[in-house]
Amino acid sequence: MSLDYVKFTPGFGKFMPKEYRDMVEHGPFGKKVSVSQVGTFKEILEEHPMCAGCAMTLFIRLAMVAFPNPEDTITVGTAGCGRLAISQAAVPFVYGNYGDQNGVASGLTRGLRLRFGDRPKDVVVMAGDGGMADIGFAQTLHSWFRKEKFTTIMLDNEVYGNTGGQESGMTNRNQVLKMAPLGKKFEKMDMLGMAKVSGCAYVATVVPNNPRRVESVIKKAVLVAREIGPSYIQAYTSCNIEYAIPTDKVMEDAKTVETDRYKFTEYITDEAKEYLSQLYGYKEYLPKPAAAVEKQ
Amino acid sequence: MYLVANIETEICAATSCKLCTQYCPEANTILYDNEAGQDKGFKYGAAYVAVDRCKGCAQCVWVCDNMAKHNAIKMEMIDQIGDTALTENVTYGEKTSSAVLANPVRGQG
Ligand SMILES: Cc1ncc(C[n+]2csc(CCOP(=O)(O)OP(=O)(O)O)c2C)c(N)n1
Ligand code: SF4
Ligand code: SF4
Ligand code: SF4
Repeated sequence: MSLDYVKFTPGFGKFMPKEYRDMVEHGPFGKKVSVSQVGTFKEILEEHPMCAGCAMTLFIRLAMVAFPNPEDTITVGTAGCGRLAISQAAVPFVYGNYGDQNGVASGLTRGLRLRFGDRPKDVVVMAGDGGMADIGFAQTLHSWFRKEKFTTIMLDNEVYGNTGGQESGMTNRNQVLKMAPLGKKFEKMDMLGMAKVSGCAYVATVVPNNPRRVESVIKKAVLVAREIGPSYIQAYTSCNIEYAIPTDKVMEDAKTVETDRYKFTEYITDEAKEYLSQLYGYKEYLPKPAAAVEKQ
Repeated sequence: MYLVANIETEICAATSCKLCTQYCPEANTILYDNEAGQDKGFKYGAAYVAVDRCKGCAQCVWVCDNMAKHNAIKMEMIDQIGDTALTENVTYGEKTSSAVLANPVRGQG
């Protein structure tokens, strides 16, 4: 895998679909693109069957723009809404059986490191809250305890969206859903706490109503996973179908939920801070000068 | 028939804030033409919609009305919209893109 895999075999370019040609000629491969430039280059995400106005779709779109090296990135997903889009992008996608995604990603990451030890390959898991916190719970936690170097992103719509509205561990207490008619009986699971306890080097919560912040946390999480250890992002990506949010109010809902109970949080180990500041110039993680510390 | 988003170039080009492009859930759908509106004296271009990719969610309308406060986007019926951008007519350039407008129902011309 390298920049070459996205190029045409000489002489075949003219037979390729327009979308493919645009991707090779004006895609983000080998360039630095940012969320503020969308609309001026060809994004790697193609058309897909996720619902109109779905916040999860927006998040996946932004995440794919933010991959630091898309030509060296592999995504891993599983059953659930998100894979309908994640699989329709110009980066390799591996489908793990429902709940197996972090186990599959562990093997994949290790294999890639044996095969391409000299060049980093970024493995990014994106899966739903049900796939990650319920059915795949053991594999998720084990990959973290084992310090597997890849990024785990929970697309947290607080419901099993793809199968019509069952509660998940990430649904809020008392929430009534189509298939939880009496309301959920226990609290939303603290996956952030578990990510920290099990040794993730970077943990963040984010809501897609702030596209530049999504970009920033994805970049950091992927870079930290390259060298330091596992990273976890938990993204609120509402399901407008199961939570009956009108599509033109999805961002209003995101804003309200962000203010009420899904605030931006970021946890980063000292080692990860040092790595980001030394290698990638993240000044905010440089140690504060002694004088400035005293003044505080 | 169904609704798609349509951006009023002259209102958009007055500020060219590029907000809606970052909030459309669909990739490669709201695009940006750095030269749009230049014939009318606007300098920084405007956003436009490749309507064949638009799913009609109207999130961009909410963003333009409430976050940007520019009211440049309206939802319109696909057969009433007149000539507009389609993916097959989009050309990407250096940090910009542009489209030859065509009728979304009948095709080019
Ligand atoms: C082993 C297995 N069990 C059950 C299913 C059925 N199934 C498909 S998607 C899904 C729920 C997805 O919910 P979640 O992971 O929260 O993702 P969402 O669709 O909400 O994004 C289930 C139970 C399956 N595909 N495989
Ligand atoms: S069912 Fe919900 S989460 Fe799934 S694509 Fe539709 S709106 Fe998005
Ligand atoms: S939000 Fe409105 S003014 Fe801003 S770029 Fe989009 S259409 Fe133009
Ligand atoms: S209506 Fe929805 S899909 Fe269409 S351009 Fe606006 S935000 Fe994008």
